[in-house]
Amino acid sequence: MSNHNPGGICEELTFSGFFATHAKTLRNYLYYKFGDRDQAEDVTQDAFIKLWENCASVPPEKAKSFLYTVANNASLNKIAHQKVVLEYNKSKSVARVNDESPDFVLEEEQFKVKLQNAIAGLSEAQRTAFLLNRIEGKKYHEIADMLDISIKAVEKRISGALLELRKQIEHFR
Amino acid sequence: MNNDVKLAKWLNDEMDETELKEFESLPEFTTYNKIKKYSAQLTAPEADMESLYTKISKNKYRTAPTKTRRISTWVPRIAAVLFIALGLSFFMYVNHTTHELAANGGMALLALPDKSEVTLNAGSEISYKEYNWAENRRVELEGEAYFKAAKGKTFDVVTPLGTITVVGTQFNIKARGSRLDVTCFEGTVKVTTANDTVVLTPGKAVAYEGGASLHLPEVARTEPGWIHHEAVFVSENFNNVIAELERQFDIKIVVNGTLPQKSYNGTIPTRDKDKNTALDMVITAYNLKYKKQGDKIVLTAE
Repeated sequence: MSNHNPGGICEELTFSGFFATHAKTLRNYLYYKFGDRDQAEDVTQDAFIKLWENCASVPPEKAKSFLYTVANNASLNKIAHQKVVLEYNKSKSVARVNDESPDFVLEEEQFKVKLQNAIAGLSEAQRTAFLLNRIEGKKYHEIADMLDISIKAVEKRISGALLELRKQIEHFR
Repeated sequence: MNNDVKLAKWLNDEMDETELKEFESLPEFTTYNKIKKYSAQLTAPEADMESLYTKISKNKYRTAPTKTRRISTWVPRIAAVLFIALGLSFFMYVNHTTHELAANGGMALLALPDKSEVTLNAGSEISYKEYNWAENRRVELEGEAYFKAAKGKTFDVVTPLGTITVVGTQFNIKARGSRLDVTCFEGTVKVTTANDTVVLTPGKAVAYEGGASLHLPEVARTEPGWIHHEAVFVSENFNNVIAELERQFDIKIVVNGTLPQKSYNGTIPTRDKDKNTALDMVITAYNLKYKKQGDKIVLTAE
């Protein structure tokens, strides 16, 4: 539930709390978009500053949508020409290694590499929707709000991403 | 289920049993399953969120001016309106002029802010500013008034014919048409006209007709006659006498024929009951014929 602070986003505590909750996801989303860390950070910074500047006229419950609207608008004239490089989270993939045969492990590692490359080859629309779900764990309706599209559109993009990924990976089998 | 959202539904565990079984039997299922599993293990490159926040904070304070507390914009507006209203009312208070008058047929007794008394004769009007009265005792008079000024700074009475400055207490001023009469009953009275300045002591009176000074005898009375309902005329023009009677009795008098040139000296009673006596006195003095025409009195000179 939103923090009903009378000062709203203008209150230091509210603003920093809001930052703690939303900044990383925003920055990651922007990275998935541009493939450029600096650009992702810059746009994130600008969006939060804009939020601060308008803190008096943005109620806390509208802050997130304001943030993403500003970020998306700022992104319109930025070209994503970098490859999106994603690493595997070390802690998540450790468990299996000891149980399996070396061949199996190798095959899996190869698959993972193919997946990384395939993701980089997705369209921006498919990539951002897909990664917001897979990496950030966002539900389809949340993604819909962030990208300002319908849930159906999110489902189409993710379905499209899965199909495209499979084609890319199987093509290199 | 639509084909274009099928995979998304599967990914979200939204397929029903039948659909799921069917999907799992497809050859491509293995790949999809692996995609599902490994994509969840990916991460975005690390980000230093703390330093990002610091950068934002720095910018925050640079743009601090817009962080104005949401005091309604109506507050300064209302304050401005109140301030202007206050200024206006003070201005109006300072400049406010009080008017007092006595209608025809009557008298009016009134007090000025410092308890100075003014008795207005019929058909007379005074005006003055109440603001700062004690420092600035100034009255404008049209007609006739008897003043009993309270002790204090100089008291000025301004008429169209001249200004009377009082450093005493009791005086009468009559300013009608082109005739100015000032009588001093107590204290000292300075009369300033266009051509002349005169200082009066008790009992002394001065009159100007058309700017020319008239000789007036000493006044034995302690108050003007009209206060006691007696119109006292000294070397008065016929017209002024008629005008006074009109005011005192609230009647309209029309004079026909040649205008008498002789000046009038006498005391005419002015109580309502004295109307006929008053008219008689004038008619006799000037040998006039009397006729009543509707609500007008017509006097004809021979």
